[in-house]
Amino acid sequence: MASLRLEHISKMFGRTTVLDDISLHAADGEFVVLLGPSGCGKSTLLRIIAGLEQQTSGTVRIGEEIVDALPPRERDIAMVFQQYALYPHLTVRENLAFGLKMRKEPPAVIEARLAEVAKLLEIEDLLDRKPKELSGGQRQRVAMGRAIVRKPKLFLFDEPLSNLDARLRASMRVELKKLHRRLQATIVYVTHDQVEAMTLGDTIVILDQGRIQQIGAPEQIYQEPSNPFVASFIGSPPMNLIEGQIRCVEEGFEFRAGNFVLGLPLRSGEASRLDGKPAILGIRPEDIALSAPPTPSVERPATIDLIENLGADCLVYLIVDGQRLIARASSVPPQQAGETCTVFMSFSKFHVFIDGRRIA
Amino acid sequence: MTRTRGEHVLLWGGILLAVGGSLFPFLWLVSTSLKSPIYVEAIPPTWWPDGSLVFYRNVLFEHRLFDYMINSAIVAGSTTGLALLVATPAAYALARLRLPGTAWILRGLLCVAMFPQIVIAGPVWRMLERLGGLNTHWGLVLPYVALTLPLAVWILATFFNDLPRELEEAASIDGCTTGQTLMYVMLPLAVPGLFTAAILTFIYAWNEFFFALLILTDPAKHTLPVGIALFQGEFTMPWGEIAAASVLATLPLIVVVLLFQRGIIGGLSAGAIKG
Repeated sequence: MASLRLEHISKMFGRTTVLDDISLHAADGEFVVLLGPSGCGKSTLLRIIAGLEQQTSGTVRIGEEIVDALPPRERDIAMVFQQYALYPHLTVRENLAFGLKMRKEPPAVIEARLAEVAKLLEIEDLLDRKPKELSGGQRQRVAMGRAIVRKPKLFLFDEPLSNLDARLRASMRVELKKLHRRLQATIVYVTHDQVEAMTLGDTIVILDQGRIQQIGAPEQIYQEPSNPFVASFIGSPPMNLIEGQIRCVEEGFEFRAGNFVLGLPLRSGEASRLDGKPAILGIRPEDIALSAPPTPSVERPATIDLIENLGADCLVYLIVDGQRLIARASSVPPQQAGETCTVFMSFSKFHVFIDGRRIA
Repeated sequence: MTRTRGEHVLLWGGILLAVGGSLFPFLWLVSTSLKSPIYVEAIPPTWWPDGSLVFYRNVLFEHRLFDYMINSAIVAGSTTGLALLVATPAAYALARLRLPGTAWILRGLLCVAMFPQIVIAGPVWRMLERLGGLNTHWGLVLPYVALTLPLAVWILATFFNDLPRELEEAASIDGCTTGQTLMYVMLPLAVPGLFTAAILTFIYAWNEFFFALLILTDPAKHTLPVGIALFQGEFTMPWGEIAAASVLATLPLIVVVLLFQRGIIGGLSAGAIKG
């Protein structure tokens, strides 16, 4: 296993910038998730790490070694592809052994590793089948086995679960987590699925339009999104974002968007700089309550537009002073759609963004 | 969908016409080859042969059909082998290299394949004369390879194009060089394409007449089509022998095609549906 360090990686396709000055570090044994919408450059970044694509500028280090000039086969990495890319003409056994044979490992070593990995992934009884005789989940296991069996310095996963149905995806996610704990491997994992990112990653790297938006632990990304993009991208349903203005008033600051006015917990030292600035206020659906919370909060009358019962909890679509907000409630409220209610919003859970950056 | 009676008649009529139309000459040939000499040109013609094998005995023992067959096998076999040896890496490169102009190279190849043979016959003859290739089998194999290459490259390039790029990437990460990727991953998957290209090349070389007649004048070197064509004398037309020899000349092709039928059909319909 080894660490990975990317220094100022940029990639142009023709005149289009796909990746813009990406720097990040994955410590030995760390599970790093690259998360972003499609077209954000996350797969390209993974392919640059693999050596399948050449960066326009910047440096890739695996361990201490700069690998920019090395072809994929000399980087000692393993990759699990979205479409699995199992060799269709080879049996599972041959698929697993292929990389080891190419690296001229002695047959005894190959046999031992094969047995070990087959047992780990519980694919022992599939070894003599061809990929086309396997189900999606089984192919996924074999694809992972092919990576694990090589004992590479670095694992790269390119949306490996996106071709599985929802139930299988959930169970494979759990297995992947266990597998990582067991192998202590350095993993770079690309996905557009925030649930995968939140549950699997030690660190999440959020990419959009070729730039890193935020790097942090899942908790941190969720609790303190550094800009409106991250705020809206993480969380389901997404954070309520209201565009408005900051105003200096006697009691401190307030946020104003039409009829919607809220006092803000900002320090007064920033007063002169912030007065009159356009701002975005973010409130997560779970931070809007239909009954009084224990923490200090503001109350507002609201009209219920729609109630979606999800079983475990429910989503309440509200109109508060002309703004549409979504609240997550643990139980279905007594009111019907069209009726009014009172909502409580916790002060401490407000997110305020000015000029695209988080200030509170 | 249900068909009306009229549509049924049309459909089956069409099928019979197509199959019958293409099979009839060959069946007539087979029938003729199995007749006794007096029935060959009998009027009215007899449809059912009397089962005489005299023509077969004649072509095998009085003519040198067996030698012709060996010559043809050598020429067609070498042509096929050489053409594939050159076409495979060429097609792989054209299908996979991200170079500008690969599409134009492929189109250019197709144009070359469309030259009428008579146009290049003279230059080819002169070149072979210089090289000392007249009246040699390799002298015939050389133009055959050149003429069959475009088709072989096209077929194989189509095949390589259809194989997912991820497989090559997986192979390169697994430790393969480009050559090893071609050898261990791409070629085994392109086997139907290889079969198709091989069969079409082989059939071309086996049946080709014009260059064979031009380049090989020594009767000992003749290939089947030329050998059979030269059965006829100035005043004689030995229909029965020609028929028997033609049947014998066709048999190896039929056997080969039937053996590889599945692979070839897969090959000819490549790209039609996602495999």
